[in-house]
Amino acid sequence: MIAEVPTIAIDMVEFLDNTSVLPDEFIAHRLGMIPLTSHDVEKFKNTRDCSCDQYCSECSVEYTLHARCDGDTPISVTSRDLVSTDSSVVPVLESADDQGILITKLAKGQELNIHCIAKKGVSKEHAKWSPCAAVGFEYDPYNKLKHTDYWFEKDPKAEWPLSDNAKEEAEKKYQTLPDGSDAPFDYNAAPDRFYFRVETVGSMKPENVVIMATRLMQEKLSTLEICLEDDQNPNANQFSNDLGDSMEPW
Amino acid sequence: MPPKRTPSTSSTRKTTRGTAKNDVTEEGATSNGVAPKRAAPTRATKSKQNGDQAKIKAEPNEIVMAENGGAVITNTPTTQSTTSTISSSGTRGRKLKKPKQGQSDIANSLDERVEKLMEAKKYKPKPKLTDPIPTLEDKWKLLPSFLRVKGLVKQHLDSFNYFVDVDLKKIVKANEMVTSDVDPNFYLKYTGIRVGRPERMDAHSADKSYTPHECRLRDLTYAASIFVDVEYTRGRQLVRRRGVVIGRMPIMLRSNKCVLTNKTDKQMAAMQECPLDPGGYFIVKGTEKVILVQEQLSKNRIIVQEDSKGQMMAVVTSSTHEVKSKAYVYIKKGCLYLKHNSLVEDIPVVAAFKAMGITADQEISKLVVGTDEEFYELFSPSLEQAAMLKLFTQKQCLEYIGKRVRISRRFGSIRRTPIEEAHEILANVILAHVPVLNGDFKQKCVYIAVMARRVLQTIIDPSLMDDLDYLGNKRLELAGQLLSLLFEDLFKKYNTDLKINIDKVLKKPNRAQEFDVFNQLTCHSDNITQGFVRAISTGNWKVARFKMDRAGVTHILSRLSYIAALGMMTRISSQFEKTRKVSGPRALQPSQWGMLCPSDTPEGELCGLVKNLALMTHITTDSEEEPIRRLAFALGCEDLNTITGEELYDHHTYLVTLNGLIIGASRQSQKFVRNVRIMRRNGRISEFVSIFIDDARKMINISSDGGRICRPIIIVENGESRVKDHHIRDLLAGKLEFDDFLRLGLVEYLDVNEENDGLIASYTREITKETTHLEIEPFTLLGAVAGLIPYPHHNQSPRNTYQSAMGKQAIGAIAYNQLNRIDTLLYLLVYPQQPMVKTKTIELIGYDKLPAGQNATVAVMSYSGYDIEDALILNKSSLDRGFGRCQVMRKYATVIRKYANGTYDRVLDPPLNPDNTIPAKFEALDRDGLASPGERLMPGHTLINKQSPVNTTGEPTMGGGFGGGADEYKPTPLTFKYPEPAYVDKTMLTTGENDQTLIKFLIRQTRRPELGDKFSSRHGQKGVIGLIVPQPDMPFNDWGVCPDIVMNPHGFPSRMTVGKMIELLSGKAGILKGELQYGTAFGGSKVEDMSKILIDHGFDYSGKDYVTSGITGEPLAAYIFFGPIYYQKLKHMVMDKMHARAHGPRTVLTRQPTEGRSRDGGLRLGEMERDCLIGYGASMLLVERLMLSSDAFEVFVCQECGYLGYSGWCQYCRSSKRINSLKIPYACKLLFQEMQAMNIMPRLVLEEV
Repeated sequence: MIAEVPTIAIDMVEFLDNTSVLPDEFIAHRLGMIPLTSHDVEKFKNTRDCSCDQYCSECSVEYTLHARCDGDTPISVTSRDLVSTDSSVVPVLESADDQGILITKLAKGQELNIHCIAKKGVSKEHAKWSPCAAVGFEYDPYNKLKHTDYWFEKDPKAEWPLSDNAKEEAEKKYQTLPDGSDAPFDYNAAPDRFYFRVETVGSMKPENVVIMATRLMQEKLSTLEICLEDDQNPNANQFSNDLGDSMEPW
Repeated sequence: MPPKRTPSTSSTRKTTRGTAKNDVTEEGATSNGVAPKRAAPTRATKSKQNGDQAKIKAEPNEIVMAENGGAVITNTPTTQSTTSTISSSGTRGRKLKKPKQGQSDIANSLDERVEKLMEAKKYKPKPKLTDPIPTLEDKWKLLPSFLRVKGLVKQHLDSFNYFVDVDLKKIVKANEMVTSDVDPNFYLKYTGIRVGRPERMDAHSADKSYTPHECRLRDLTYAASIFVDVEYTRGRQLVRRRGVVIGRMPIMLRSNKCVLTNKTDKQMAAMQECPLDPGGYFIVKGTEKVILVQEQLSKNRIIVQEDSKGQMMAVVTSSTHEVKSKAYVYIKKGCLYLKHNSLVEDIPVVAAFKAMGITADQEISKLVVGTDEEFYELFSPSLEQAAMLKLFTQKQCLEYIGKRVRISRRFGSIRRTPIEEAHEILANVILAHVPVLNGDFKQKCVYIAVMARRVLQTIIDPSLMDDLDYLGNKRLELAGQLLSLLFEDLFKKYNTDLKINIDKVLKKPNRAQEFDVFNQLTCHSDNITQGFVRAISTGNWKVARFKMDRAGVTHILSRLSYIAALGMMTRISSQFEKTRKVSGPRALQPSQWGMLCPSDTPEGELCGLVKNLALMTHITTDSEEEPIRRLAFALGCEDLNTITGEELYDHHTYLVTLNGLIIGASRQSQKFVRNVRIMRRNGRISEFVSIFIDDARKMINISSDGGRICRPIIIVENGESRVKDHHIRDLLAGKLEFDDFLRLGLVEYLDVNEENDGLIASYTREITKETTHLEIEPFTLLGAVAGLIPYPHHNQSPRNTYQSAMGKQAIGAIAYNQLNRIDTLLYLLVYPQQPMVKTKTIELIGYDKLPAGQNATVAVMSYSGYDIEDALILNKSSLDRGFGRCQVMRKYATVIRKYANGTYDRVLDPPLNPDNTIPAKFEALDRDGLASPGERLMPGHTLINKQSPVNTTGEPTMGGGFGGGADEYKPTPLTFKYPEPAYVDKTMLTTGENDQTLIKFLIRQTRRPELGDKFSSRHGQKGVIGLIVPQPDMPFNDWGVCPDIVMNPHGFPSRMTVGKMIELLSGKAGILKGELQYGTAFGGSKVEDMSKILIDHGFDYSGKDYVTSGITGEPLAAYIFFGPIYYQKLKHMVMDKMHARAHGPRTVLTRQPTEGRSRDGGLRLGEMERDCLIGYGASMLLVERLMLSSDAFEVFVCQECGYLGYSGWCQYCRSSKRINSLKIPYACKLLFQEMQAMNIMPRLVLEEV
């Protein structure tokens, strides 16, 4: 979820004019970190797979930002000032009256005129493409699998409350016995329920992140499966090599 | 000329930066997972119950402690009211001796016993409701008030102000007359001197006043003219002139002559100056220079020490404006001698007495010995010796001394008889600071007698020997004093030069017009100006008269970080030799308490010799002696002339000294001292006058001289602080200022000596009825740099010292004007944050406004094995989000020169390729030939396409002659050399001194942390990045919070930096509660409170978290100490250090590879590596490394003569018969030839192998 769910983020910035106090790299970095709504990531291609020369509307979204302060009070340039070419990919706003994310401030006479290109990417490459801020994870609220032992001063049961995820474990087999004693330890048991606590940066809905992540996982596994099958079938070797080139590198 | 394309004005920059920073902090925190703002806590990590248990366990203890402590405090006043109140000074005096019987002492011992009892049995008396609650908790608020009034570098400013306002006038007064040897009617008299406002020297500017920042940018000297008022004769006329300029003096920033004084922040911003900059330094030729504080032994004080032979001697370094000399009284073979540089041979002390008019042995012995039998026995050999030498009368003694005077063979000096010579020497040279008025030697006799007595005293009781390392025997010399020495010298030289010139002109028999000295006055002014500039810019202080020749007095102000600059201003360098292996001067002296920082000193050879001032330390300037002398006599000090020797050493008599000079004696010492103190507290004499009783030596010492170290302390009287709650309330309300506290006698300055005379309580609860003073705040014993450390009192002390050194290397914000500066090298952090765990010092010095570091979420655990030896694991996503990102700004400057023959440098537009494209090398250039802002620079790119004339000396040959004509130019471009690309930030065009066009480029590079970059926490725990791990692989807690840094727990046990753990705990609590915590020394947020906050927010009280591994997805087997710690990025970065080469440049002389990274040098296979290869027997590898890969050279050797030949030919034998070729190192061949040049004939004899 953190590493490979793709989103769209500003990747290239062309500075036409920058007389603000912040240097170009600084502003470019800040722009990159702005979350852009990425519900429709799917419809974009990765730039490297795209047939275009540098970038095109199929693999990127363009933004322009032109701000200039002429008044005596300094003005704030925020993510709201970014003008997008694609209405589906815009800077994330929490609500209608959200001020947007501050990029820089301009004093009288200062000007910022830039042109940005946002591309699709994954957080493996840079954290700006991560849809998630934090992902919590748990799979065994009752510690049935004994993957950990609770450190305690007197009584581990009293000192360690059950997490909210424990409520989900309605079925008997996931819980301890009602009389408090543990069920006999099943050393063959494997975790089969996983709880995620997903906090996104706003570019995608958490549920979509999870769905997309599982789909990616499935894809990967099936690719692996195909490769393994091909490996075992010597007749298909020729074919699998041909396929290998077009496959994703993982 | 205005700077080219400066992007903005400074006032706006400030505001913008501020807000931007805040915003980013927030963003960064969220994304780093430090404070998940939007996340609602889903589950408590550890049970509340667990926490409650801990709380219950902890609380009873706490209550006992608190109430017990409280009882002690509340009880004290009650005990006290039963005892009679006695004067504070009365107890003070007795403290040093055995306690005398008296009401107070009984009460005291009772008090003590009660206290002991309570401590032993945890006795807890019931607190009464009526008991006063001693709060005074906010007494530390005095500190900001103090710093507001005085500033952080008050010592430098005070010293400079004193020099400019007072000392300058004194020096001129002492050297006011210039006369002529030729014309006796001529004279010139200085009637006044003053220093103007800083003004620029440009001829054509309408507004002459300029700002320090202009000087920095234009490489000017920030200086003001020195004006004198003169009165002189022109023929028969008397002419008076006011405001004659005799030179320019560099002005200390923020001193009262500086344009920055009393300016609001807004005005400062308009002048491009940072309001947080402490000032106290000079700007000379565009560089910021600090005159370091110099530590030396105090002048004009008797110091008894042991000489190399184990004999006692009393030494006095007397220093007056005219002379500086040392006089010794020492004992040799039982007899006392007087030693001085002006005497060829040491003379018996008795002879000196007799020469000064005290001829009776009886009188002498009374003066030295008094009535003490013990002393008398020690002294009698000296008397006998004088008799043996037949020294009875004054005349005999004068003659005896006169013959031993070192004769100065100065030209033109008047010849004197030995008697006159001796008289002169005794009166004016030996112990010159003791005045001899109208031939009255009494004072000097007493002085020498006291010296002699001190020697005898020390023989009897060696504990009376003076401690040279004791801070009370030290004086600090500041910029003002050093400049005054320099000015005096320059002024004297100016006057002698003037006199020579005057004589030269006046000698001419008939002049065309009346001689006016005014023209001469102005033409010498450059000497004074240049003298100042040279001394400050080189740091060589040369004063011929005092045989003073010090190097390294000034240093370039380090602008690495705000703290580095601040630390430099508080630095004290010792005059002690660093090579000597004595530990005394390096050791921490108990008398440094509260005056000098115990932590902040460098490691290595300068350890303990370079010190730093504590936060509240003040260094005195000279104050007038005369009123104090008069006051002393008025308060019952008896004049020396009225006292006989016997009375002098009477049991109750104390000698009264004023700045080391014995002025009289007092029989009621306690009362005398108390009265002087009352006068001082009432403001009748300067608050910096100190007085203390030296019981062992029976002296009352009053000091008003400059360079003493002192600090303000609250006065306590009758067991009660004079500062009351309502005073503090008024202070907070702004009704009172720090100076009012001084004026009201609530607070006073104590110097080191007087501090020893009092009993100072650290806290209100420690006040007993014997207490005389109360600390304003204990944490002020640390300096500004060590004050950054949170919980330093929990750390092992060397750790604090290490941090004090590292805090100065941290990258962060430097000043509000940092983006307007063009420094040679400037490091800036992209997103600096103020620390989560602050200290009061941090707020006081403004570190929270100009921080150098970031709050990193740290997991203390082992990870991957790339974290051994203090290496750190960093989160890649954190780096992506801007953690540890920094900017490096570099300056490239050049001057467009004009040459003597009228030629000058020129700047050309970039040349074009044949196909009209610009060559890659010149890509960054604009059409004016200068690199333009925003351009990307690659290695080898040109910054300015400058060309210089080939011929700069001869006549310019127009039209171009044959070879080397003046119109021929050679390219002298400025090239960008660093291996990584960078950007042009700014280009500046201006004129510097002498109207030379000056061009500066500011090059910017933004760097993201990489493997091997150095980071450090604030606890002396440095480490390099060992591995950068993608966020998914990082461990995370159940909220999904990931650490930015994983630190290996092995860093803790041996370092014992408990403060760091508490910092983490407080930081974590602060984040959860949404407030900043304090880690002030000897105070700060308590661990119990922090644990409680953690528990309240569902965390474990110990700061440990349940963490899931990012690699396996399973929970970790241990609970991880997890939370924010403030990390500093240090300036040592891999990018600046990484170096390797295959082949490259060689030195010209030896043809061996060059050395060092800057010259693309080779990596040396050193002696030890060579030894290894020899030991292993890898001879061919050795030959390859040491010769073939270095400086192999083929030579021809003639086997006939053994000399080196050339190309198969031996010039010596004139044959090519027996020539062999051979490969040897070029350095070896060079050695042979060099030896030949010295008439040593190396012959090579070759053998067949």
